[in-house]
Amino acid sequence: MNAPASLKAVGEIDWADKNYLVVDDFVGVRQLLREALRSLGAKNIDQASSGGEAMGLLTRIRYDVVLCDYNLGDGKNGQQVLEEARVRNLVNPSTVWLMVSAEKSVESVMGAAEHQPDAYLIKPITEGVLLTRLNRVWHKKQIFRLIDQAYAEKDYLRAARLCDAAIEGHKAHEIDLLRMKAKLMEKSGEPVKAREVYERVLEQREYQWARAGIAKIRMANGEFEQARQSFQSVIAENRYYIDAYDQLALTYQNLGKLDEACAILERAAKLSPNSVPRQRNLGNVALKVGNVQLAEQAFRKCILIGEYSVMKTPDAYLGLARVCGQKNDAKEALRLLLQVQREFAADYPDIALRSKITEGLVYHESGDYRRARKAGDELEALLNATEDRPDIPTCLELATLLFAVGVKDAPVELLCYVIRNNHDNPLLLDEVQKIFDKARLGDEGLEFIRVSKKEATDLMNQGVLLWKTGKLMDAVEWMRQARKKVPNNQRILFNAAQILVSHLQQHGYDGALSAEAYEVLHHVDRLLPGQQRFAQLMEQLAQLQPVLESGTIAEVA
Amino acid sequence: MDDTPDAPELSLFLASTAHDMKNSISVLSGTLERLLVDASPQTESAYPQMAHMLYQTKRLNDNLMQLLALYKQVGTPAYPFDVQPLELGQLVDQVVALERVLLKSRGLKLELDYDPDLVWHFDEDLITGVLSHAINNAIHYTCDTVRLAIRVTDDNWLELRVEDNGPGYPPSLLKAGAIATRDTAKGMNFLTNSAGLGLYFSSEVARMHQHRERRGTLRLENGGRFGGGCFILNLP
Repeated sequence: MNAPASLKAVGEIDWADKNYLVVDDFVGVRQLLREALRSLGAKNIDQASSGGEAMGLLTRIRYDVVLCDYNLGDGKNGQQVLEEARVRNLVNPSTVWLMVSAEKSVESVMGAAEHQPDAYLIKPITEGVLLTRLNRVWHKKQIFRLIDQAYAEKDYLRAARLCDAAIEGHKAHEIDLLRMKAKLMEKSGEPVKAREVYERVLEQREYQWARAGIAKIRMANGEFEQARQSFQSVIAENRYYIDAYDQLALTYQNLGKLDEACAILERAAKLSPNSVPRQRNLGNVALKVGNVQLAEQAFRKCILIGEYSVMKTPDAYLGLARVCGQKNDAKEALRLLLQVQREFAADYPDIALRSKITEGLVYHESGDYRRARKAGDELEALLNATEDRPDIPTCLELATLLFAVGVKDAPVELLCYVIRNNHDNPLLLDEVQKIFDKARLGDEGLEFIRVSKKEATDLMNQGVLLWKTGKLMDAVEWMRQARKKVPNNQRILFNAAQILVSHLQQHGYDGALSAEAYEVLHHVDRLLPGQQRFAQLMEQLAQLQPVLESGTIAEVA
Repeated sequence: MDDTPDAPELSLFLASTAHDMKNSISVLSGTLERLLVDASPQTESAYPQMAHMLYQTKRLNDNLMQLLALYKQVGTPAYPFDVQPLELGQLVDQVVALERVLLKSRGLKLELDYDPDLVWHFDEDLITGVLSHAINNAIHYTCDTVRLAIRVTDDNWLELRVEDNGPGYPPSLLKAGAIATRDTAKGMNFLTNSAGLGLYFSSEVARMHQHRERRGTLRLENGGRFGGGCFILNLP
């Protein structure tokens, strides 16, 4: 019998010196896998019988290989262990993560989870199977190593060029590399190029993720009807392609068809019920269409599955409080709001404000206008106590509530803040105008919008003028002040970064200015990901770095 | 199964039972393989029985896997079907890794004939399962050699052949194969034939593979390189 290629490859990969973690709730399987690893020469093998135990070990030790069963009894499942390990950076990018399950599962089909393992193995797992898979994943990781690094540094254009280069030498991974490249082009704000890549894939084979990729680009272009049809045909081809359901729901939301969006999310949640973000979306949409019972069900499920998940956020608690309010159970709503402040105080600085807003809404919707007004006054006091403002949707919700309960100055100030930070976003300005109209302040609103827009434009233009007339250091300083006044305006942020890059290009590398530019760019990327200017400036900035050692840029990130 | 809300307890029960059985089978086949690797017919008088136990364990696992897959309605859009590009080298490595110890313990030779760098698109788990099942069968019938040959045909199908040098398939099995691989296989009573389930499953797997109006096929023949049984899977 011919020796299989992978056994010959053992020599080049030293599996003996690596650190291994085996996670399975069945002791016999743990012993079996440990024996199999020992026969590869492995010496350092740790074992865990539950997700919690695995997390404890992952916190303390850096593993090269993790073999993790999907079903782990009570507590976290294998997918949640992987998600948390990745989100908390407890595993290296080079770590091989193999997920083990008893049968071919929905989870193993693309699009079911954000954090995918390197491979799924179906039981029974014997030594030979384990070794061939380990070798295969290791080789693939080598091909993707530099690409993944550039990706982590958010230098998407460099990562895309590395994909092109790798395709030449690795025909077997062409499809995977193209898939990565398409994702990179999307993140770089180059949908036309991403679409070309997807079409190149489809010339070879009818991959549903490529179809879904094109549909996503269509949705971003505003071609909602075409996007809807495409997502529906993807689902018809593969009923388990869960991501297509979420996208289809988003398409319906864009088309203003909330009932349809709600129905699709409900189907997706039935097929794959253990996704925290999906249950949260379902709850929010159900609340919007007035299906209080469904919203309650979704939010409760979201809280239940979120208990062990790093994906847990306060939204489901706030949503459930609204549900309780609509069911005229203000007492239960208040209990939830207390709980959410206790649980999320550490990670969510906005949480006191957000739960107070929800409290106001609960009172307002249940007709207790006196208490609603009291919440409004407290919110006004909270706003006056700090310069910081919450994210845009929270601002809009807050302004709406404050107007509704009869507060005047605070919501106007809040909306002017929203306008200054989004002066070139006509859709959002329309939304702001509508809030003014609803508060019977239509004409004043027009004027507020005009003045606030002008403030932002003046700030930006003065900086650009200094830059264009060669006063680079003055321009840098001006933009710093502008960012203080208007911290979340993308155009101002992009111009600030552009001016910093120009300074570095003309006057040579400066560590502090470079770090400042990265900080500005990462801030704007958090506000609105996937912008062309972000990718271009990140690339220019990376090229200006004196040393391109691995990790130097990532630390700044 | 997701559309039968009236039977959530049953599906939950089946899933947890399957999970449990798979764990036991993992331990069984893993332990047997280890014992066989460390032993030889000279040092261990029970060696042939152990080899037979490994064969039976594999049958057990194949049946369980097929039942689970069929329960999930393999062949319909409900099954989590997942096509990916793969080098044939990777596929064959996987199949060989599954069968190596059993072949060795039976003193059988596996002949391989394929281009390891060729990339094709298929559901790896399903095709590995089908090939390993076919090889297990061939192990039962062959004299001393099993052959796995993969090539691209002139009209651009991937042809995967598992051949043996045994007496060939008996007429009843050839007939069952012909029925199982017809489009009307749904109505077939495969429970009356112990080989029927595997054949039915394999032909469903073949049929799921689709590319530009072509669907995969399966057929059984006698002949091939050694004149014995031939299990032939064609993928678009």
